Amino acid sequence: MELKKTPLYPKHLENKGRMVDFGGWAMPVEYESILKEARATRLTCGLFDASHMGEIRIRGKRALEFLQKVISNDITLTQPGQLQYNLFLNDNGTVIDDLMVYNFGREYLCVVNASNTDKDFEWLKENKLEGVEIVNESGITSLLSLQGPNAYALMKEVIGRDFNSKYMRFAQENINGKLILLSRSGYTGEDGFEIYSSNDDALFLWDLILEKGKKSGLVLCGLGSRDILRVEAGYSLYGHEISDGINPLEAGLAWAVKFNKDFIGKDRLLEIKEKGLSRKRVGFIMQERAMPRQGYTVYAGNAPVGEPVGSVTSGAYSPNLDKFIGMALVDVNCAANGGEIVIKVRDNFYKAKIEKFPFIVPKTLH
Amino acid sequence: MLKFSKSHEWAKIDGSTAMMGITDYAQHSLGDIVFVELPKAGTKVTQSGRLGTIESTKAASELYSPISGEVIEVNKELAGKPQLVNEDPLGRGWMIKIKIANQKESEGLMDEAQYREFVEKEKH
Repeated sequence: MELKKTPLYPKHLENKGRMVDFGGWAMPVEYESILKEARATRLTCGLFDASHMGEIRIRGKRALEFLQKVISNDITLTQPGQLQYNLFLNDNGTVIDDLMVYNFGREYLCVVNASNTDKDFEWLKENKLEGVEIVNESGITSLLSLQGPNAYALMKEVIGRDFNSKYMRFAQENINGKLILLSRSGYTGEDGFEIYSSNDDALFLWDLILEKGKKSGLVLCGLGSRDILRVEAGYSLYGHEISDGINPLEAGLAWAVKFNKDFIGKDRLLEIKEKGLSRKRVGFIMQERAMPRQGYTVYAGNAPVGEPVGSVTSGAYSPNLDKFIGMALVDVNCAANGGEIVIKVRDNFYKAKIEKFPFIVPKTLH
Repeated sequence: MLKFSKSHEWAKIDGSTAMMGITDYAQHSLGDIVFVELPKAGTKVTQSGRLGTIESTKAASELYSPISGEVIEVNKELAGKPQLVNEDPLGRGWMIKIKIANQKESEGLMDEAQYREFVEKEKH
């Protein structure tokens, strides 16, 4: 099957992006160096093409009622102009996808994972209420992500004037007659923006940001650095920390689940909550040099090596900490902060320490 | 005498010893290298046998010995600076020195021109 391409595909080739198959999309994993890109995003700023992400709009008379039924969080806690982290859950309480919901007042935009867009769209349609319209706008929407301490100053240059913006808020802006949705948000833990536009305007925005970004130390970033940055920030990724085999309580996402309203999966989650969790997502930092990767077995840290207690869900070398870091799902009895665990890397066992998220607290945030 | 293996290692053969590492093409394909796991001095290795592991940001890759023999020296600098393999794969990014067991084995390896041709084919 031919890979799908974002409107910025020619720009990735032009900039010597190393293209890989990411969930059916041809995306750059890096341009020059994953580590350099991950460093630059924390020191200056980085520009990511995230146009593969899915955008699903929900509108109609009963849009709010429908949305509240399919999301775990409570959108009524936000004002129009705010976005909120959310989960779609199965009846059994496990995760279908995680997403951001943009509150437009009378309608809502769900931004979902690229590889789950079709699945989410079908699931939403199956659960649709009369008087609700569900539109998959993924094919006409582009998304650029500008992240890092210099992102705000650069965005002022791009827009050509000062503008109001707060973390987890969005607004429509006009750049040279082109309408964008400018959201102060991101997947790196840094200050930054997610910039939604029509596919037709994506190349123009890319070029403009790149031109204005020369002074700001802007670096083009691929998906490799995006993954390192989100692990440093302690953010979950579908297929790793969350999936249809993992519920949000064990993934440490209870803050995005509001039991005082109804939603699909609530009953089962309440039962799970009542019974108590058996495992929990933790962050860890390797105490020895070894690269943890998804699927590696985690052992209790007592004796030299104790019983198996879980497995690694994500691992990375953090160039910003010069440490190997990761996340794991482990037995609740081994999940205490500061606790020692052991991770088997091929034939050897290496010590790691459970640490609180995030691993990196940005100097300039919001 | 510089020789190359089909698994993209190089061996600099100097009398009875060989220094080895991975090629520029290999380091470029792997991307940023963050960890190199090498055998200890004294370990016996065989040609094309597993020698260790190279971890890049993207994946773990096996490292194979271009020649049989005994490991007599390991590049300790790589433990703290694995990026040397990216920066200078044929120089400071060398990995181990081997006391060669069988000189004849090197005849099965490629010279520089042959390796260049091999890489060109692999690219297409």
